[in-house]
Amino acid sequence: MNDFLSLFDPGGGVWILAKILTLIGLSVYVVFALVIVKQVDHMTDTLEVGFESQLKAIAIVHLLFALGTILFALFVL
Amino acid sequence: MPDIFVAKETKKESMKEVKDNLDNTKPDPVNDLKKSPKARHKLPGHTRSPLAAYNYCPTDVKFAVADKEEKVVLFLRRHPITNIPWILLASIMCLAPMVLTLFPPFGLLPSGYQAVVIMTWYLITLAFIIEQFLSWYFNVNIVTDERMFDVDFVNLVYREITDAHIDQIEDVTTVMGGVVRTMFNYGDVMIQTAGQVPRIEFLAVPKPDRVAQVLRELRVEEETEKLEGRVR
Repeated sequence: MNDFLSLFDPGGGVWILAKILTLIGLSVYVVFALVIVKQVDHMTDTLEVGFESQLKAIAIVHLLFALGTILFALFVL
Repeated sequence: MPDIFVAKETKKESMKEVKDNLDNTKPDPVNDLKKSPKARHKLPGHTRSPLAAYNYCPTDVKFAVADKEEKVVLFLRRHPITNIPWILLASIMCLAPMVLTLFPPFGLLPSGYQAVVIMTWYLITLAFIIEQFLSWYFNVNIVTDERMFDVDFVNLVYREITDAHIDQIEDVTTVMGGVVRTMFNYGDVMIQTAGQVPRIEFLAVPKPDRVAQVLRELRVEEETEKLEGRVR
């Protein structure tokens, strides 16, 4: 029983598993953010109205935020 | 002493008033397209804003499937008011972490995990906002002097572009129903065509009656070109 409860202690097995799953989930999200950047690029090539640079900047900021989150999770968790 | 001379009061009209008055006149897309960009800026319905939902004879619009000689007459999007539902939802999503911290299950997590959960939540919120904005920004309807296009980005990885020639238009129907649509003057324009795609829809566009008028003028011009043998 004590061995089972020790899994939930900080640094225990459950939290290591949670960290791995969190990093996997965030990695998938980074791929999604890359897809958004690619698609915004493709969409702005199809239609140019004068707001393209701002849209690309927003997509890149989103990607950087995703990368920042995964790095944060890697070092803090 | 009686007034000898009283000058008539002349009311100086602002540019907006001039445009609003001209907005009630019949559109003339054929001649308006021949005007210089500077002259076009004074046309009613013309704007330089890239976020406009209604732009008449825009000068800065380029799209991939257009011919070199084709000129854009109308550039349409859904009325900005249609964005209010997702803006409200995004606002709630932004404020949600403040409430989340009050719930016990969240409080049981270590502080590092709490921070990661909140960052992930804001990531998802940002992705939602970007997706909704892109959906509004890129789902456009374009009317040129030769064709009309319906550009639909269904989602980030699926795009559908439908086009039909102006001379294939058989019927144009405008639908504007409901309090909000009447107040903000936006509605649907349904275009029946003789082409492979039998119907093209411009949904929730501003000034649907004006759009129908422009399409009518373009059809008349196409028929005139056919009669005179000037078909491109």
